[in-house]
Amino acid sequence: MARQALNAYSILIYIFLLLPIGVVVGASLNAGEFLTFPPQGLSLRWYVAFLNNEVFMRAIRTSLWIAAVSMVVSGIVGTMAAVYYVHYAARWKEHMRIAMLSPLLLPEVLTAISLLFFVYAIGIGTTTMFGLLVGHVLITLPFVFMNVTSSLEGYDPDWSTAAQSLGAGRWTRFRRITLPLIKPGVFSGCLFAFVISFDVFTISFMLKSIGSSTLPIQLFDYLKSNYTPEAAAVSTVSIVVTILVVVISEKVLGLRIHRF
Amino acid sequence: MQSASARPRAYLLLLPAAILLIVFMAVPYLNIFVISFRNPGQGTPYADGYTLLNYTRIFTSTLYQGQLFNTLWIGLVTTFITLVIGLPVAFQLGRADLRWRGLAYGIVLSPLLVGIVIRSYGWTILLGNNGVINRTLINLGVIEFPLPLMYNSLGIIIALVHVFLPFMILPIMSAVQSIDPALVSAARSLGAGRVTVIRRILLPLAMPGIQAGCILVFVLSLSAYVTPAMIGGLRVKTMAVTVVDALLDTFQWPLGAALALVLSAIGALIVVIFARATRMRWKVQ
Amino acid sequence: MTKVSITKLTKNYGPGIRAVDSISLDIPSGEFVSLLGPSGCGKTTTLKMLAGFESVTSGGIAFDGQDVVSVPPEKRDIGMVFQNYALFPHMTVRGNLAFGLEMRKVPKADMDRRIQATLDLVQLTPYADRYPRQLSGGQQQRVAIGRALVIEPRILLLDEPLANLDAKLREEMRVFIRDLQRRVGITTVYVTHDQAEAMTMSDRVVVMFGGKIAQQGRPGDIYDYPVSRAVAGFVGQVNLIDGKIVGVDSGIARVDTPFGPAEVKAGHRTEGDPVTLVLRPEAIDILPADAAGGVTASVVASYFSGAILDYTLALQDGQTVDVKTIARQRFEPGAQVRLAVDAHRFWPLEVG
Repeated sequence: MARQALNAYSILIYIFLLLPIGVVVGASLNAGEFLTFPPQGLSLRWYVAFLNNEVFMRAIRTSLWIAAVSMVVSGIVGTMAAVYYVHYAARWKEHMRIAMLSPLLLPEVLTAISLLFFVYAIGIGTTTMFGLLVGHVLITLPFVFMNVTSSLEGYDPDWSTAAQSLGAGRWTRFRRITLPLIKPGVFSGCLFAFVISFDVFTISFMLKSIGSSTLPIQLFDYLKSNYTPEAAAVSTVSIVVTILVVVISEKVLGLRIHRF
Repeated sequence: MQSASARPRAYLLLLPAAILLIVFMAVPYLNIFVISFRNPGQGTPYADGYTLLNYTRIFTSTLYQGQLFNTLWIGLVTTFITLVIGLPVAFQLGRADLRWRGLAYGIVLSPLLVGIVIRSYGWTILLGNNGVINRTLINLGVIEFPLPLMYNSLGIIIALVHVFLPFMILPIMSAVQSIDPALVSAARSLGAGRVTVIRRILLPLAMPGIQAGCILVFVLSLSAYVTPAMIGGLRVKTMAVTVVDALLDTFQWPLGAALALVLSAIGALIVVIFARATRMRWKVQ
Repeated sequence: MTKVSITKLTKNYGPGIRAVDSISLDIPSGEFVSLLGPSGCGKTTTLKMLAGFESVTSGGIAFDGQDVVSVPPEKRDIGMVFQNYALFPHMTVRGNLAFGLEMRKVPKADMDRRIQATLDLVQLTPYADRYPRQLSGGQQQRVAIGRALVIEPRILLLDEPLANLDAKLREEMRVFIRDLQRRVGITTVYVTHDQAEAMTMSDRVVVMFGGKIAQQGRPGDIYDYPVSRAVAGFVGQVNLIDGKIVGVDSGIARVDTPFGPAEVKAGHRTEGDPVTLVLRPEAIDILPADAAGGVTASVVASYFSGAILDYTLALQDGQTVDVKTIARQRFEPGAQVRLAVDAHRFWPLEVG
């Protein structure tokens, strides 16, 4: 009895969670000129409109590019820091952890403003994408760090020791033993970094340079003055892209995990 | 266990992250603190010389005080609601024997994979005067005129609860997962009923997750920009919206910096009070 | 074949924390040596210094007279078996065995041949392409040993390799490892806190306490002739009997004990000196109450464990002694018995 009530309740919450997303997807198929409910027939016209809208297409390209760069940079920097944290850090371990997670613990608005002031203070300003990229790397770094750290916690240091006793040098140990074993963590950390960067708003909003609007910024600006379902079509494509990235990686990742 | 000879150069692993965090986090945060004491500029972001004016302006202006109060209120209510509605779900998800667990977990995670602009956009479609909810209710004859769901704190809270619910559920879920099921059996064998088990065993052990979830949601609510900006429109402004506008539209850097710092400081104070009150062990989970 | 010389080896962890305190040990080529002691006695630290994973504070380690203290572990040419095996989980059994050979750039054909020979040696040929998680504890153990041996190291180091196995498998593995070591003839250092393990497997047992070597020798000698209370207690059950020397005659001291007179070597002791005697529980015979000879005692408790019966008995003066007998004749608690001990079964401790 209690269990059934709990199940019913949970299903309500799941509906609540999916509702706005479902509504956006539904709205994108609206044939009408404006967002109306109930919809005036089904159509893919707004997808066509979106695909022909160079502003949105450029925003998607910018987003993907920034996400890829911050994923690679965070992936490398975060993995190195995680290896240090788990295997070498001794005295200031907890402090180091908090410092690594600080971009996540501090309000994003404050970080964004600080960085904005800083790039102006050092004379770069927002004429280039430098500040924007740094902001994205900072925001995504904790996700790589957390994922790699947790996969390293399951890593037995004796594996490295055993490899060393068998004659493997430092780099060989990392390449042949450590990296393959923490790959799932590195992989999911990078995946997180990519998805987070793709969706980050405040940092991008404050630090964007001319012509470097990411997709969320472009969508936000567009929605200030437009009410056509084109925005819903853009959103749906963005959702599908993210889900595809995650599902495909999960499959690949899943295979890797099953190998050992 | 590491070879003693391996240690000296290990810090090189940390170097890139350290440089990144010091140069682009620590220094900018110091910088913003300094700028908040600058004189306001004429046509420039700020002028020479230092002043306390930016802070006194915040604490004497009823406009800013009202916004500050409203922002904190929205944050607290959002946190409370996410806790109340998220707790049962988190407990259910934490159970290993749940069928459809993968699917349910995916649904809880899904909002995180969908951009915050898109989610807020979804809520404008739902909550607007001509939105899905009002239209449905009018067509069903339940109401005659649209309910005011948007452009007010209610709308902002509804959307924020949705946006941040996963951040409440996930930490609690992982805390619940780490509870040894044998503890529940042990408590039952000692004569504890279902409710007692929840109250005396599960809730205390899930406490670190609950604390982490509450702090996360509260901090995120305070600094949320997109959702209040899109749902609140021009009528209801939270502090984060005011700050961003002050910086990007009117170029009042010192004031914007002071506003952001005051908001963050008050938020931090509330977090500390909360942590003290719930006897939180200070460890970032 | 490699002989190992350890001279005045010392390890400090910070000021005042001395894990290993100036130990010296020579291990002849092909010998199986156990380092035996309670946790924290420095045995594992010693092993790690031999392997190169722990730096040496002072003293020397030489393989065949050649100093290796400054040689990093990966260049030391050792085979090491870890307590938790440390098998590479992302490699098959074959992959694990191949790893060390790859590091040595052994040609492919040669490598295959050596891996096959090792698989046969550790009886794992049918499991060559399995991953470690698909193997039982005993099989994983054999992979670990195979992985250490396939590189034909100069010495083999084992760090409590049987600690994670259940009792029955542990006994099988003792025999397996000992046989393997004899066949390969490799110089072996084995760390354990289990005295039975050390006794059954080793040519020589080195008992360590507090970072120092307390005693070393053949297993039987350590057992029968311990130098101290601590060694006596660590290598088996023991009754310690305090007595006084009542006479010395041509190097033999006579001691009065509750069991009657004992005859032990006098050494530097003279008449009137106090002495502590070791009496192993199996050196005492239990006789029925009506038997002739011996001293009277009563059974306090008995513990039956199959072939063996352990008794706790009280002597007339209230002193209790432990006795171990084969379980052919049984006495119930409360029964009166007589205890008889041969005068030559006592052994005097060097130190109190």
